[in-house]
Amino acid sequence: MMDIDTEPVAADVAARIVTPGSAITSDPAFMRGHGTFGEGATIYSSVAGVVERINKLVSVRSLKQRYSGEIGDIIVGRITEVAAKRWRVDVNSRQDGVLLLSSINLPGGIQRRKSESDELQMRSFFAEGDLVFAEVQSYFADGALSLHTRSIQYGKLRNGTFVAVFPQLVPRSRTHFHTLPCGVDIVLGVNGYIWVSKHVSAAKVEANAEHIYSDCNEPISDAEREAIARVANCVQLLNRLYVKITETSVIFAYEESLGHAAKDLLSQDVAAELAHSVMARLKQQAS
Amino acid sequence: MASLILSPAEQDYITQGVERGLRADGRGGLDRREVTLRTNMISQANGSARCRTGYLGVGTDVLVGIKAEVNSWTAGEPEDRGAVVCSVECSPSAAQEFEGYGAEELNVELTQLLDRILGGPQSGLDLGKLCIIPKQAYWVLHVDALVLDVKGSIVDTLVWAARAALLATRLPRVVVESIADEDGNMQSEFDVVDDAEDQVALEGAENLPLAVTFSQIGKRYVVDASEQEEAVTQARVTVAVSPQMDICAIQKSATARGFAPSLLTEILHSARAIAREEHARFKRVFEAASSDGAAGEPSTGSTFLGTF
Repeated sequence: MMDIDTEPVAADVAARIVTPGSAITSDPAFMRGHGTFGEGATIYSSVAGVVERINKLVSVRSLKQRYSGEIGDIIVGRITEVAAKRWRVDVNSRQDGVLLLSSINLPGGIQRRKSESDELQMRSFFAEGDLVFAEVQSYFADGALSLHTRSIQYGKLRNGTFVAVFPQLVPRSRTHFHTLPCGVDIVLGVNGYIWVSKHVSAAKVEANAEHIYSDCNEPISDAEREAIARVANCVQLLNRLYVKITETSVIFAYEESLGHAAKDLLSQDVAAELAHSVMARLKQQAS
Repeated sequence: MASLILSPAEQDYITQGVERGLRADGRGGLDRREVTLRTNMISQANGSARCRTGYLGVGTDVLVGIKAEVNSWTAGEPEDRGAVVCSVECSPSAAQEFEGYGAEELNVELTQLLDRILGGPQSGLDLGKLCIIPKQAYWVLHVDALVLDVKGSIVDTLVWAARAALLATRLPRVVVESIADEDGNMQSEFDVVDDAEDQVALEGAENLPLAVTFSQIGKRYVVDASEQEEAVTQARVTVAVSPQMDICAIQKSATARGFAPSLLTEILHSARAIAREEHARFKRVFEAASSDGAAGEPSTGSTFLGTF
């Protein structure tokens, strides 16, 4: 059993790892936040995670959690069902998100109301299994996320490979679509779904606006495949070794990994060594 | 085997990659993932092993326990042999579709496959040595496997774990006494020695085969397919190869298509080459797992509360 703090000071309460049932504090001055429960005057943790304190509010952020969306989040989702005027999308959350037919762009960027014929050919836009790059537009009454793809950069994902990571490792940032120096595009979905693909220039995307719903990949060379595999493995190893996944950390991991073959990156020793040097570089950069 | 839907673009990316010999995770067509192994962690079993194929603590995870029982002979059974009985069960925690009766079909398929590999003389096990007294008593080895996680290539992992468990199995010694009764007929009786120190290994366990499963994707094939690759696999064949490089079992699994004969010939050839490497790797991993005890416990790289 953990010690029950008699004189809680900030250092005692915050930045501590607890398991369900650990007593966090028994000082009545604190208020219970998320991930805690109270019994008598004592506050206990209800999840395994890190204790956080904001003024008098004590909460526990769990180490493993599902994605909970916020409006404006940029995410990657997988279509699970085509329904009436909407798609259901797996967004790694507690329930499926919804993409309304009215919140997508038509091929060629035509602006008009969606008609009945659009409704009949919904599968030609997105079918089950397709990956979409989207933004959270709003919530429904039951808490499900409503998504939209009304921008040229959003839409169907092609030319690459998919990696799922812990959502809490992907911080919200200004941009989630990055072109890495190694010529690989990466979409860091805030929901922990990550898309690594061949770089296609924005000009080319705009020129092909008619084909935004195409299922065909561009030709991908062996060198590009190797780079994609390397980046995907870097993301995977950062995830498994619990390092924040940002553009910077992925670039660091990629640079550090160049001494090893792409297929060896996930082996125990190499991964641990790479994660170590990435963390060291991130720390160095922060100071 | 787990049902996973991929987008057409992903399917194309994987297929193209396999045809070019550069898979989505950077492996070549015939590269296998890392294997972690731990033996004899179930104290109630005569032998046990847990094997995981995958990287950094995620992967296909199979637990096998061997329980030996003395059976009394009944008419119609082979007179001078023991028996191996396999059973494979996929845990509902491995994949959502295994919930309820979802895993039933896969359980039957894997049980039969394991039975075909281990259940006869082709397994290399000396079943004659499992007979205690002909027409009276024999050993039954129950090979019970539990699939704890599914990330592609179940069969290979299953056979790895079963082979490791059988190699780690120790049977109690049996003392047979023959006494003449008053009519002069010889009567045999046996006694199972209840001494943890006085146990014997299975005869012929070192001849057990390993399985290599080939998945045809597009025009080419891969070994140790990942979950995503299994979703686009058109045909699959499992080849079990003994350490003497004899092919002792072949089974094609029910999937979308069949193999072209030329491709199958090529596969059987590379099966032996791969099996040679796999047997060497098995030996290395098994020795490390059984010699170091707790120190040999595979570190999984998982950051959260660690190992198996």
